[in-house]
Amino acid sequence: MNKLLNIAQAVPRQFVREYAFKSDLKIKWVRPEKIPCIKPEKSGDLSKLPPLNADDLLLEYKDCKELENADDTVKSLFKLTNNANHLTTRYYRDQMVKEVQRHAQDYGSMESKLANMTAIIRRYQEHMDKHPRDKMIKVRLKELIDKRKKFLKYLRRWDYPRFEWILEKLDLVYKPPPEHFHWITRKESLQKLTDTYCETLKEERLDAYHKELQAQKIPFLEDAIRKMEFIRKEQISCDIPLTVTEEQIEQSKKELAQLIEQREAAAAVTSKKQDEDSFN
Amino acid sequence: MSRRGLMLMGQCMPCVKQNASKIRIRRMELDKNLNMYFKKDNFFFAHDPQKVCKTGDVVLIRELPERMTRLITHAVEKVVYPLGDITDPISGKKVVVGKYRDDIEMANELFGKSEKSFDYSKAPPRGRLEGTKDFTHGETYIKYHDDGKDQPFAV
Repeated sequence: MNKLLNIAQAVPRQFVREYAFKSDLKIKWVRPEKIPCIKPEKSGDLSKLPPLNADDLLLEYKDCKELENADDTVKSLFKLTNNANHLTTRYYRDQMVKEVQRHAQDYGSMESKLANMTAIIRRYQEHMDKHPRDKMIKVRLKELIDKRKKFLKYLRRWDYPRFEWILEKLDLVYKPPPEHFHWITRKESLQKLTDTYCETLKEERLDAYHKELQAQKIPFLEDAIRKMEFIRKEQISCDIPLTVTEEQIEQSKKELAQLIEQREAAAAVTSKKQDEDSFN
Repeated sequence: MSRRGLMLMGQCMPCVKQNASKIRIRRMELDKNLNMYFKKDNFFFAHDPQKVCKTGDVVLIRELPERMTRLITHAVEKVVYPLGDITDPISGKKVVVGKYRDDIEMANELFGKSEKSFDYSKAPPRGRLEGTKDFTHGETYIKYHDDGKDQPFAV
């Protein structure tokens, strides 16, 4: 910017922007790191699945009476940790759905579906942390996250109280998609940053100017009252038609008194705040 | 400005202005070349100091006799349909998509309602999750700069 102004002032002709013009403002642009869409930061999952208990049994054998007084080796055969992975996923799904379902048979309502999906998503995310090159699961996970987002969008439109409740219950974050898609480029980002920089600069300068004008108000009013009184006195003594009335002077005095009162009140408030801050 | 007091119905959009709401009026416009109708959006800023309408609500706005500011030309008259909280105008019952809420509740009761399930009577008014879990009250954007600060609306 400064360079631009200098050139514009030095050369009388109109400043022409050259090819590959570079601004010399000290704005540093940091490209945001790409977060994969399957990560919880991006998918909106705030919490993880609870850790698995060592003695959790398979879903079907949870209330089995035979197992209660069975041998330890037999028991261990029915533990979740000793069984296939998908059975643990099913256990988590069932647990999550039971938290939100409307009645014991409900597996098809929107909230049950969302809970089901959330359990699978969190399970897959754990899997992806361990096996980052599993492309099949990655694709499935991505599609599930997108589908869950779509369902959340629908639920919000249909039933807002339920939508908020489910967000809290499943600990999810919902962010609406941005209006337009665009790739992040250096040029565009710098343009935006420059715009915000100029905007803040403008605000700052306007604030400073406002303060300056406010500071001039009291001396100006005092001076105006003195001058008006002088003019009035002179006009009376010289016997010329009066242009300044008593009322005008009175009004100015009133304004001055009001201003001083306001300033004092504001000063008292700020000093009190400072005292509290120092006390704290 | 005109003194018509024209009333318009539109949908509330996310808006950064403090005492105004951005209302979208959607109309269909005929493309004579293709002989087809296309959506055309008009945006109005309506004066709304209490922020009565939230994003997505269908509201009625009335034209002000005089332009309030450069942008604000209307005032919010009333919220006709809050988003996701629709009341059927004929029977006066609450509706979810194609069913009455009462009917859904009745079905749940018949199946044996779960205690953990959602209850409408206990639900607080909309807006308690704004800024923590629900970010629909503002416009989101694609994150273009990493300044170390928290950017809640960056996607």
